[in-house]
Amino acid sequence: MRFKRGTVSDEIPTASMADIAFLLIIYFMVTTTFAATRGLDFSLPQEEDTPLVDKEESVLIEIQPGGVLMVDNRPMELSEVLDYLKPKLERNPMKPVIIRPDEIAEYGYMVDVFDELRQAKDKIGIEVKNVSIPTQREIQMFWY
Amino acid sequence: MADIAFLLIIFFMVTINFEVDKTQVYLPKTEIRFEIPKKAAYISITEAGQIRVSSGEEISVPVPGPEDVLSFAAGVVAADPHKAFVLKADNTVPYRYVDRVIDALKQAKAEVIYLLSEQETVESTASGG
Repeated sequence: MRFKRGTVSDEIPTASMADIAFLLIIYFMVTTTFAATRGLDFSLPQEEDTPLVDKEESVLIEIQPGGVLMVDNRPMELSEVLDYLKPKLERNPMKPVIIRPDEIAEYGYMVDVFDELRQAKDKIGIEVKNVSIPTQREIQMFWY
Repeated sequence: MADIAFLLIIFFMVTINFEVDKTQVYLPKTEIRFEIPKKAAYISITEAGQIRVSSGEEISVPVPGPEDVLSFAAGVVAADPHKAFVLKADNTVPYRYVDRVIDALKQAKAEVIYLLSEQETVESTASGG
């Protein structure tokens, strides 16, 4: 029995190339999501550079449920916080600022306050260098 | 035609950014935003307090509670001590969930956390949000 020997073309078939290319384009177009890839950075203290923040000398910003701010036990609007901090920071640029959100306060309010403090350089011309956000465990451990 | 098609393919291949975490959350809006390093570890918290984690290499997996974030974060930090963590938390989540996650990251000796956010626009400021 004889097999018929087919002729093999020495060219790569490219007729379907454009189809494959468009299929890939569509795949990438559909799967591409312009995800949010930006955010506020927040450095965590490392052991060697963590002086214990003194409660008496720091500015305490408490965030209550509903976004009410108590700055050193006085109610304050978010827009007033930086003006309140300015004279203190001029005296002591390393003045510690503590943000302490209530357990049931919404996370967004904490971010708003943190964002506001990070804008201090643009708004009042002086940076808030020493911001700390102690966690509940740390408060229980270190805050007598 | 095929050239253009390939050009487009290359464009999409270069720009594609496989999201490791597809959790739908309403992110808080901030005016200051920094670019997050690639391959950062993700921790997402939904409005209901459900937590998902990803080391940045694979799709995120749910974890039962904030306690499990510590073991996850410790593993990630052990593999790369300078790894950045991204906290993708819903705008309206009660702070206690975020507090526990941040606490776990502090205990795991993470260096930096990025609070994932959207750009604050003039309209969003005007509408009070």
